[in-house]
Amino acid sequence: MAIKVGIPKSLLFYEYYPLWISFFEGLGAEVIVSDDTNKEILDIGVKASIDEACIPVKIFHGHVINIKDKVDYLFIPRIKSLFKNEYICPKFSGLPEMIKSSIKELPPIIDVEINFFKSKKHLKDTVIRAGRYVSSSNRVIMSSYNRAYLEYKKHRKKIKEGIINELTGADIVKNNIVDVRKVMVMGHPYNLYDSYLNMNLLNKIKQNEAKVFTPEMIDDKYLNKYVKDFDGELYWTFARKLIGTALYLSHKECVDGIIYISTFGCGIDSVVGDIVEKLIRRNSRIPFVHISLDEHSGEAGINTRVEAFMDMIKWRDVLEDNISAHG
Amino acid sequence: MKEIYLGVDVGSVSTNVIVMDSDNNVIDTLYIRTKGKPIEALKMGLGQMKSRLGENVKVLGLGTTGSGRHLAATMLGADIVKNEITAHGVAALNIVPNVNTIIEIGGQDSKIILLRDGIIYDFAMNTVCAAGTGSFLDRQAERLGIPIQEFGSLALKSKSTVRIAGRCAVFAESDMIHKQQLGHNQEDIINGLCEAMARNYLNNLGKGKELKPPVIFQGGVAANIGIKKAFEELLGCEIIVPKYASVMGAIGACILAKEEVKKRGKTKFLGLNIADSSFNVQSFECDSCPNMCEVVKFYRDENLAARWGDKCGKWSNVQISQNDEKLA
Repeated sequence: MAIKVGIPKSLLFYEYYPLWISFFEGLGAEVIVSDDTNKEILDIGVKASIDEACIPVKIFHGHVINIKDKVDYLFIPRIKSLFKNEYICPKFSGLPEMIKSSIKELPPIIDVEINFFKSKKHLKDTVIRAGRYVSSSNRVIMSSYNRAYLEYKKHRKKIKEGIINELTGADIVKNNIVDVRKVMVMGHPYNLYDSYLNMNLLNKIKQNEAKVFTPEMIDDKYLNKYVKDFDGELYWTFARKLIGTALYLSHKECVDGIIYISTFGCGIDSVVGDIVEKLIRRNSRIPFVHISLDEHSGEAGINTRVEAFMDMIKWRDVLEDNISAHG
Repeated sequence: MKEIYLGVDVGSVSTNVIVMDSDNNVIDTLYIRTKGKPIEALKMGLGQMKSRLGENVKVLGLGTTGSGRHLAATMLGADIVKNEITAHGVAALNIVPNVNTIIEIGGQDSKIILLRDGIIYDFAMNTVCAAGTGSFLDRQAERLGIPIQEFGSLALKSKSTVRIAGRCAVFAESDMIHKQQLGHNQEDIINGLCEAMARNYLNNLGKGKELKPPVIFQGGVAANIGIKKAFEELLGCEIIVPKYASVMGAIGACILAKEEVKKRGKTKFLGLNIADSSFNVQSFECDSCPNMCEVVKFYRDENLAARWGDKCGKWSNVQISQNDEKLA
């Protein structure tokens, strides 16, 4: 019988799932992904987790509980750094420990350390250490990784074309209405694509006759080019992506509005969200709003903000059209 | 027969009903406490307004706003259901056409709306926390045993400054208690609280924004003259509190309803007699999936009129009766 590897559908899953799933499947494992976030997962996650954690980390706990009894291994890598000279949120590097101390009766955890802060030289070591839980052949592990990496590249390309796999729950292409306005929704991938956590924000915007864009749709080469203009230390991978997006947008002015979503208590957003807002307001005229989320399930607050924001964009349009019509 | 339009704002703390004529003149306003029961408050408000208006009126349109706007629209039939920000902006523009900044503090929300050349240009709302809003002031007034109406004028009597921590309502409350136990005057503490609220509002919502005069202060808290004064001192300009400051949301909804009816030709309002109907709600937890949505069933005169609260649309999307009634 195939070894069952469980992956919680949460946090960086939304960024790397094609890589992770196809890697373990290539090794002959059966990959079991937790359910979409729902009230049950939220409730058990909030209960199991420490109080100070942000809501995405609490939800991660819920996803772990959702699948822990169905699998032989849980894949929870200890992610410290994904790119040279950049760190990831510190909660990600403590994640396996946090889970082990908060949740009882866990299957063994594949908690390989991913740390490319100095270089990617030991990428191969990292991959083999993760693969060894399922396969004993280094050759099989590396070839499965290479195939999985190609899958991931294909997925990234699709996202850039505006096609986001249904697995993420955000079907960005399925617009039934005419797209008249473009709205960029910024934030961490696990806030953007978890439609339970963000109370279906992307669809709410679409219902307001707008097309939704996310930072993942901007090619990294543009982000990296524009982010060079930033006068300061970037430090976090999320910062490079979001500040790069802000500089790109304020330069190109190619969207009609920007919504930044963050979760209550997010350390990175307390810095990056502020910088993004300043850059956009200083360098462009694009309407901007910051929405913060927590475990609220009443949608009135978010609906009011989205509706008012869309009203504002439409209203501004009318005014600008008037000006051009009169020369 | 007098032709009128109605605006309804169902907020967390108050439910407001206003009446306007076809020339956007406010004829009558009503401000009642929601007390956690929006349906009863609205029914009572409409009933009172109906008897005040008499027989000789014809309602041409109705608009709703506030956090209970969808509920109100389902109860009464509305031509437009508008978010509070747009409604407040529209109302302020109608009263002070060159307004540049709107400070709005309601029961649960505080908002800043910046306008330029007659359009909403930028806005911000308080985040996940409702500290520093009307419901907090209410609670402090109750704790001190002072009627909320007298809160502001007491603050004006203050002779010396007592600084209250303003970042968080819980911090503010403990700071107030500390200062009170040190023996400071109640007026000074209340004044300190008003200053803390204004300071907190400007730090939170006004951060990085250019607050140009004319500045309008509206929402329920605008009735508090102590906070008005604190804003004036901090901003260094005159603050306009419009005559109908506490019901501006309803005025905005009413103006928008009028425009909507003009476009569509007829109103969806179910008539003033709807105030005599009975309204009931029942809720249940749907067990079809792990989301366990809290679904609300809304009955008008014992007939199921609408359902909402589900994420998938299983309950809310189903046509309920031959009357073609659905949640707006």
